[in-house]
Amino acid sequence: MIDVIASEWLKLRSLRSNLYLLSCSVAAVLTCAGIAFMIGRGFDNQTMEERMAFPGNGDGIGNGIAVAYFVFALLGALTITSEYGTRMIQTSLVAVPRRQVLLLAKVPGLAAVALVAGQVLAFVMHAASMAVLGDRAGQLLRDGVTLGTSLSEPGVLASVVVAGLSMAAVALIGLGVGAAVRSTPGALVVLTVIIVVLPVAARTLPMPLRAQAGSFMIENLPLQIAGVGGGTLPPAAAAGLLVAYVIAALTAGATMIALTGRRIKVLAIGTAAAILVSAVPAAAAGSPDFGPSTLAWADCEDKNLVKQLRCASIKVPVDWAKPSGRTIDLTVGMLPATGAQRRMGTVFAIPGGPGGSGVADLSKNAGSFAELRDRFDVVSVAPRNTIDKGVLPYDCLVSGPWITWPDTRTEYAELGRRNRAAAERCRAADPEFFDHMDSASVARDMEAIRVALGEEKLSFIANSYGGRPGIDYSRLFPGRVRAMVFDGAVSPYMDRAQGRLPHEESFTRFAAWCAATATCALHGQDVGEIWRALVARADHVPVPVEGESPQAAYSGFDIKEAAAPSIISPGPEPEFPRWTELAEAIKRAAGGDASGFADYVRQSTKSPKVPSFTGMNMTHCLDGPGFRDYEEYRDKRREGERLLPNLAGIELWHPLACVGWPAPVTNPPAPLPAKGLPPYLGVGSWTDFEGSADIVRRVPGSAAVQYQGLGHGLYNAGNSCIISHVNRYLISLRLPAPGTVCRKAVT
Amino acid sequence: MRYDRTLAVDNLTFTVKPGLVTGFLGPNGAGKSTTMRAVLGLEVPSAGKALVNGRPYASIPRPMRSIGALLDAGAVHGGRSAYAHLACLARSNGIGRARVTDVLDQVGLTDVAGKRISGFSLGMRQRLGIGAALLGDPGVLMLDEPLNGLDPEGIRWLRDLLRSLAAEGRTVLLSSHLMNEMALSADHVIVIGRGRLIADTAMNALAGHFQGDVLVRTPHPEQLTAIMRAHGATVVTEEDGALSVRELDAAEIGELALSAGIALAELSPRSASLEEAFMRLTEDSTEYRTESGTGNRATPKKAVR
Repeated sequence: MIDVIASEWLKLRSLRSNLYLLSCSVAAVLTCAGIAFMIGRGFDNQTMEERMAFPGNGDGIGNGIAVAYFVFALLGALTITSEYGTRMIQTSLVAVPRRQVLLLAKVPGLAAVALVAGQVLAFVMHAASMAVLGDRAGQLLRDGVTLGTSLSEPGVLASVVVAGLSMAAVALIGLGVGAAVRSTPGALVVLTVIIVVLPVAARTLPMPLRAQAGSFMIENLPLQIAGVGGGTLPPAAAAGLLVAYVIAALTAGATMIALTGRRIKVLAIGTAAAILVSAVPAAAAGSPDFGPSTLAWADCEDKNLVKQLRCASIKVPVDWAKPSGRTIDLTVGMLPATGAQRRMGTVFAIPGGPGGSGVADLSKNAGSFAELRDRFDVVSVAPRNTIDKGVLPYDCLVSGPWITWPDTRTEYAELGRRNRAAAERCRAADPEFFDHMDSASVARDMEAIRVALGEEKLSFIANSYGGRPGIDYSRLFPGRVRAMVFDGAVSPYMDRAQGRLPHEESFTRFAAWCAATATCALHGQDVGEIWRALVARADHVPVPVEGESPQAAYSGFDIKEAAAPSIISPGPEPEFPRWTELAEAIKRAAGGDASGFADYVRQSTKSPKVPSFTGMNMTHCLDGPGFRDYEEYRDKRREGERLLPNLAGIELWHPLACVGWPAPVTNPPAPLPAKGLPPYLGVGSWTDFEGSADIVRRVPGSAAVQYQGLGHGLYNAGNSCIISHVNRYLISLRLPAPGTVCRKAVT
Repeated sequence: MRYDRTLAVDNLTFTVKPGLVTGFLGPNGAGKSTTMRAVLGLEVPSAGKALVNGRPYASIPRPMRSIGALLDAGAVHGGRSAYAHLACLARSNGIGRARVTDVLDQVGLTDVAGKRISGFSLGMRQRLGIGAALLGDPGVLMLDEPLNGLDPEGIRWLRDLLRSLAAEGRTVLLSSHLMNEMALSADHVIVIGRGRLIADTAMNALAGHFQGDVLVRTPHPEQLTAIMRAHGATVVTEEDGALSVRELDAAEIGELALSAGIALAELSPRSASLEEAFMRLTEDSTEYRTESGTGNRATPKKAVR
């Protein structure tokens, strides 16, 4: 056998035409470079936002791989068809009468040449694509990959190496086809169908079918083997399939080269081997990390939700300490994976609030999840503390006590009585449920959903308040977390006044904007001075809201709380409508009418008073931000007044709402486990970045990205830069380098 | 053995002996090539088996060392040099490069060893094919129509080569459809027609088997014919009136004529040529026949499968 292999190697080497043929593979490099050039030119002509919606060029090999395959397949086929064409086969068979030995002896030499040439070609194709894309290659896109992926990106080195290997596999497929067909033109036809016609035909199919059929094409196997895309197959199954293709082709060749009457055995052995190598990994990889979902997915009852959203119901115990006790139903929503790529698992979007419905959020923000859904099901829930759930009276939950900023122990006690009365009013409908609204219970509900989904692990995007259930889930079920993103979350570990420093910065920005903008009502005046004078005066004598009946008046504390959302979220550039309104409201309030603030407050509560929603507090107060006693309050207030010259007091808004709360603190902040959590990603804007950064700082290896602009809930809002970093992390668990920032899109 | 429905070789059994150049004769389509291909495992007999040194060819580990074969001088890849071609074949049977050089020298291709075969004449290709057969220094040589395309010098060279190889005790079998060519090359001859064995004999005995006739011219052919037939002769009257007589030799005919008082104008014994002998042997068996007799149309050779 060694002699025959050496002889076949000599045959391959001694034909100059083989060298010429191999050099034709330069065409593949040119194709890659040409397409990369066109992508680059198209890219340059687009706005940043449009650029980020580009599909990635990947390792750049895919554009020219069909050309390379064609060359290698032809090389493989010619190895045997040229013998038939010249009748050399007869001479060869006299020298080596065992026919299958002759065929198989061609494999090592051909494979060796194709392996070496394939690797060289794959790396040159990759390098050419990257070189043509130049600096653009590093641009991170919304689908979580860079425009061109360098070898340092996860899986890319593997995908380039496997692309080279696949060229050797294709050469062997060519050999098998050549031996089966026995003629060069015939082999050319068959190989053209396999390499060119079938993939093109697959691309014309409608969507889920296109992805499924495309996954089986040879050209899409390298990416799937490397696990960086290409289709829906898991790596082992894709590798098995590639090997099976080679075995099948060689079996066909070995069967046809055998003399009539001796073919059945070869055919049987080859077929069995091909089925085995493709089926075993497919079966092994098909079952592992998620079992069948026990949720009954159906169309959502709420017809206002987007069509693609699926809904299901899950029963959870009201009190997780009594798992077999009374249960309630939660609505789970899912934006299913599109099937374009191999499904990697489920991303759980934890809604903000507390009180928001994740199902409604998924519907409203479906566009933000479009790229993520190439690889994940995106699931969320209308959690137990959703205010419109219907168990507790909605109107009661969206209203609340008038929070004051107590100056004395008596005022503090009075606030407590008011809070308690408001809470008891809502609690009466279902006291047991009302007393189990803590974020740990929300986290346990999420775990119940994970179990029902049949997922081994979940990935999370925790939005705003959702950070708190995210933290509690991390504490309670660290082994179930694959990845977690905190987007504009509030850190329970941070000093509250410290946490409001960005609001102060925002206020400074607002003042600077006003100084620079002629349309600002306070243009030409010292905004800071006017503001501080207004709130100080209002804290002594509240500013009445004109035309309001019954009469209402705003203290300085009320004005700060009412203004805070406008300060940090001024609305779209360059008009900044809410800053414009805010300046107008300040001007009017300074003149003795607080209706500018009341108008804004009324939009969300239908009432002019600045309430602390009972629906939020029923969770907050159990999660433990309250004060031990009046003394603690007093110390915190002093600290806040020192740190926050313009907005002191807003940091105490939530804790003050819990003074006198009827239910005990059941879920006080507790540290994250020191070990066992994967690195996390924190994202946030100027105003909410610090909270997310503070949380992920507590998990080793984590990273954070700040968007250098205003906003809250950036992923849901569709911020492309943030989405690109988050998607990249969720897909490849790859975190941005320290100090990475998202700049505002420059058009 | 059959090609589709045509019986190509039928119940053919013969032995080729060492030390002799054995000719393998038969008209086109007689089954010579098929027989050789069957021996080399390129065809499978529908019944029976072809063995080399008692075993199937395909089971011989390095077959070129046992049997050297030339089936088709055109069965080469024109893109390779003569040297590369032989080197590839040699390597597959574990034969060293030195032997390749020797063989190239032996077949007179040393000067063109580095040239691509596509530029070779038929004669050069024959030499290359013979070289391939010689590579393994085999005890058995089996050459199909090796003389085709060789110039007279080449033919003489090959005859001498084959005789010297046989003289070394090797078994040499070469096929041809031309008897005269074979007459000078072979010591022993095997003749087949329509896939059946017709003759297996020493070359010099072949002509003897087919005794000639005696040409007789006489003014009284009818009388003489009657007398000769009475003595057991077969007499055929030829077109010009001459008599062709068999079963009696010239002396006996002369005596019969003398005693009957018949004058003879001519009495000449005619010996049969090998060519004629071959024709007579195979005239019933020719597969492809033209109006005028034995045709020369080539057998459609089936592609190797």
